Amino acid sequence: MHFIFSDEAVLLFDFWSVHSPAGMALSVLVILLMAVLYEGIKVGKVKLLHKTLESLPTATSQQLILETDQDSAGSSSPPVNRTHLRWFLCHFGQSLVHVIQVVIGYFVMLAVMSYNTWIFLGVVLGSALGYYLAYPLLSMA
Amino acid sequence: HSHHMGIYHMDNSTMPPHHHMTTSHSHGGGDMMMMMPMTFYFDFKNVELLFSSLVINTPGEMAGAFVAVFLLAMFYEGLKIAREGLLRKSQVSIRYNSMPVPGPNGTILMETHKTVGQQMLSFPHLLQTVLHIIQVVISYFLMLIFMTYNGYLCIAVAAGAGTGYFLFSWKKAVVVDITEHCH
Repeated sequence: MHFIFSDEAVLLFDFWSVHSPAGMALSVLVILLMAVLYEGIKVGKVKLLHKTLESLPTATSQQLILETDQDSAGSSSPPVNRTHLRWFLCHFGQSLVHVIQVVIGYFVMLAVMSYNTWIFLGVVLGSALGYYLAYPLLSMA
Repeated sequence: HSHHMGIYHMDNSTMPPHHHMTTSHSHGGGDMMMMMPMTFYFDFKNVELLFSSLVINTPGEMAGAFVAVFLLAMFYEGLKIAREGLLRKSQVSIRYNSMPVPGPNGTILMETHKTVGQQMLSFPHLLQTVLHIIQVVISYFLMLIFMTYNGYLCIAVAAGAGTGYFLFSWKKAVVVDITEHCH
């Protein structure tokens, strides 16, 4: 198996079959955007975590540490319960984002596995563009 | 009889009906490359999983494989978190390097670099290396499982990764990140 330049490919699903240069160009664009999204999600997860940690007051954060260590659920006052619920929802949301990241990563890998050189170049360019656009956002406060 | 890893036996009666050819040929013939599915499908018959002795043929076997793959993906996420924790705990040596650098108005500023590291032959580093190898192997296994293009197994990988991330990152996110950032 080796890389080939071709206008024909079938990517991921039965209905995604490409026969023409226009279709191949569109497919490369879609895969490129997928790679950009993948890099963006990686940064987005970290930003999401920072944002939720900042929105929690420090005192309740300490209390969260103590409570997860001692497993003393049910003895918390209502304000801490609300914060617990918020933290739980936020972490659940983060896990969903993680699943999307895993799935997109595998989809991009399978697209590269088609051994089509145009698709591969689309992935490389998309990753570069995504990294270039997203990573500066990481160091912003 | 002989088994080839990852390549189906060329037997017309057991060939899955949704092989999708990338060329205009409608019949697989003797072309080995077309025998691996290249699009997602949902089926539990004649699914080879990583090794030649692991072939799924019944719904029960597929359910068992689903659970096994789910647990493997969960274990992978847990291993990643565990390695991070071990690394943080074992970082003992901190070296400070100060060097003069030119400042904005011609002044000289002192820039201080802080390096945190482990010794090469220390036990924590060797343990990290062993865990790294295990992590690499498992990540390749998960990639190969996803590469079977079997819908059930792919869903198992994604769901296991999400559940593992949710369970193992929960406490880590609460404990570690708060103590590391100055609030």
